Amino acid sequence: MQHDRRKFLKSSGIALSVIVSGEILRVSPRSAQAAALPYQVLTEEEVATLQGLAEAIVPGAREAGVSHYIDKQLGAAAEDCLLMLKYLGVPFADFIGFYRGGLHSAGRLARLRFSLPWPALSADQAQTLLVEMNGDTDIEWDGPPAPFFFFVLRADASDVVYGTEQGFDQIGMPYMAHIEPAQAW
Amino acid sequence: MQRISTEEVFDVLVVGSGAAGSVIAAQMARAGKRVLVLESGPARQMSDLISSQIWARRLKWSGAPVEEAGNLPIGHNFNAGWGSGGSALHQFAVWPRLHENDFKLKSDYGKGLDWPIEYDDLRPYYDKVQAEVGISGDATAEKWRPPGQKYPMAPLPVFAQGRLIDKGFVARGMTTAPIPLAINSEVYRGRKACLYDGWCDAGCPIGALANPLATYLTWAVEAGAEIRNEATVVKVLHDTSGRTATGVEYCDADGARHRVHASTVVLAAFAVQNARLLLASASERHPQGLSNKNDLVGRYLMTHPANSIYGIFNDETQPHLGATGGQLINHDHYSQKEKGKAFGSYQWLIANALKPNDLLGIANTRPDIYGAALDDFMRKAATHMGNMVFVGEDLALAENRIELSEHKDDYGVPLARATHNIQDSTAALAEAAVAEGLAVFKAAGAADPWAGPRIGMHIMGGTVMGEHAASSVTNQYGRLHELDNVFIAGPGLFPSSGAVNPTFTIHALAMRTADHILGNDTPSNSSPGQ
Repeated sequence: MQHDRRKFLKSSGIALSVIVSGEILRVSPRSAQAAALPYQVLTEEEVATLQGLAEAIVPGAREAGVSHYIDKQLGAAAEDCLLMLKYLGVPFADFIGFYRGGLHSAGRLARLRFSLPWPALSADQAQTLLVEMNGDTDIEWDGPPAPFFFFVLRADASDVVYGTEQGFDQIGMPYMAHIEPAQAW
Repeated sequence: MQRISTEEVFDVLVVGSGAAGSVIAAQMARAGKRVLVLESGPARQMSDLISSQIWARRLKWSGAPVEEAGNLPIGHNFNAGWGSGGSALHQFAVWPRLHENDFKLKSDYGKGLDWPIEYDDLRPYYDKVQAEVGISGDATAEKWRPPGQKYPMAPLPVFAQGRLIDKGFVARGMTTAPIPLAINSEVYRGRKACLYDGWCDAGCPIGALANPLATYLTWAVEAGAEIRNEATVVKVLHDTSGRTATGVEYCDADGARHRVHASTVVLAAFAVQNARLLLASASERHPQGLSNKNDLVGRYLMTHPANSIYGIFNDETQPHLGATGGQLINHDHYSQKEKGKAFGSYQWLIANALKPNDLLGIANTRPDIYGAALDDFMRKAATHMGNMVFVGEDLALAENRIELSEHKDDYGVPLARATHNIQDSTAALAEAAVAEGLAVFKAAGAADPWAGPRIGMHIMGGTVMGEHAASSVTNQYGRLHELDNVFIAGPGLFPSSGAVNPTFTIHALAMRTADHILGNDTPSNSSPGQ
């Protein structure tokens, strides 16, 4: 059993702890997604927008657990937070507001254009909105600047899709770890 | 505010446990001094250095926010470190020396500032540090290299990516040499040799890379120094005359305030936090901040402008192999700083090891690609991508500075606000270099090379050294002009940036300061126990 657990954590690449009924479960974002574990910070609507948006930007992000990963990091202490946003001039105290503002604006944009939430958009519809988010034309948006939010979310999704041992393997790059990431975040 | 709970006395207090603080602490402890190192971040062990670009973010700055402005922000949170070892724990270990023409910018070119010392003053300290920690390289191949002892180890191997890009330099009549790296190409003084797996900036847990946990911080502890983590210094204390520091006040992880005293105080908390601490230590005797009578603390803030060049090659490049800092180096145009509208030296760091994710990872080299096209790009780039980095000289400008913000941290200390703009001549330098880099990549066989955005790499200045109090914050040994026993250590002392990675120079300068504090005018022969 212990061996299986180590193997599981090793293969998960990144892991997180989630509190369910007072118990701390340590699982990977991918497994948390598969098991539909509850969220600590994000609302159901925010999660739906995040998953649809991230999946359109980096295919595989939803299954890799991007929403659980971001949710977990937003609930962490500043020095434990691993989001790339910490490099980009946004104070840690504003992280939740940054994601909330971006997700609410993205969700509203989808409803305004297509009367649909992000997960229900077709590939073409999602592409239309992503182009608008990165374009120069004014859009209905009151969160962080849309291109910046896109950049950050793309980086987060790239982390969970490509930044793990499984992600390296997926694109044919040897991981060659000195110390494998085998602990909970 | 909680009450002050303890008062202790040491010979030397060192604020910060990065490259500079570690050297000072080791040298003081070896000399028998009672040393306390106060580090605001958590303790780090080699076992914490997990091979993951995501986990590695724990090593980056997580302290009080730094407000940034300007046309080339300094990128504090990416460049600074958090925890034992400071930013040197995630350094790339690219250790070239400053060149002889980097020391007298104002006298020789009418720009920026002069150092109060010359290359020959620093040379013996470069040699000493190099012998202690080991550098791999080929001094002969570096035809631009200033005089000094040859490297104690042969260079690291050049892999496919480096060999491919080198063809472009050769085709354009340019020269490359193996990068001088503070990474062992063989077992050196008991430390292991590199495995070439490209996890340098995630922290090297085998000790092949000369981070402070592998070198001076560990040597300091072995010599008797105490490292106290989660201890954030909030003020430097001084006597009634204002000429002598008596110690510092710090807050522990629970917010309790403590005072510790010493006959010598060394501030080695990196460029921004050192300046912030001086400004925040204002007193009746020093109303504008400690040793800031001439309003110079915080000024002359610098960062190297840097751009990456990328390309996809037909041949496989194995971009995951080697060191994060690269495999080859070019300084062909370093000696000539005046280049028409452009001004400054620059270097190319060639064939950096790449990972798929993070700020400098493959995915972010083309932020315009997404959806299915991104996956196609990632699969191709993972095996066929090449890259190199332009590192340019910045100019010391008085208006680029660190100031105190109106906002405060959890301990009531004002935050730092860092403003940094580059002049047109520096922008022109970067633009010309990018054009050269793209031409090199085309000559090397990359079909459609592209350049990344200009970013700030490394942080220097803010507490510059100089001959006179009217134009500098410290003397040539890093001692504050207005206090007799407070020293600055680290890149904040640099009056010019040069165009080389600063960590080797930080070590050499700190070694020189340590010798001065100990009363040695020439390099001491003390070396770590092995």
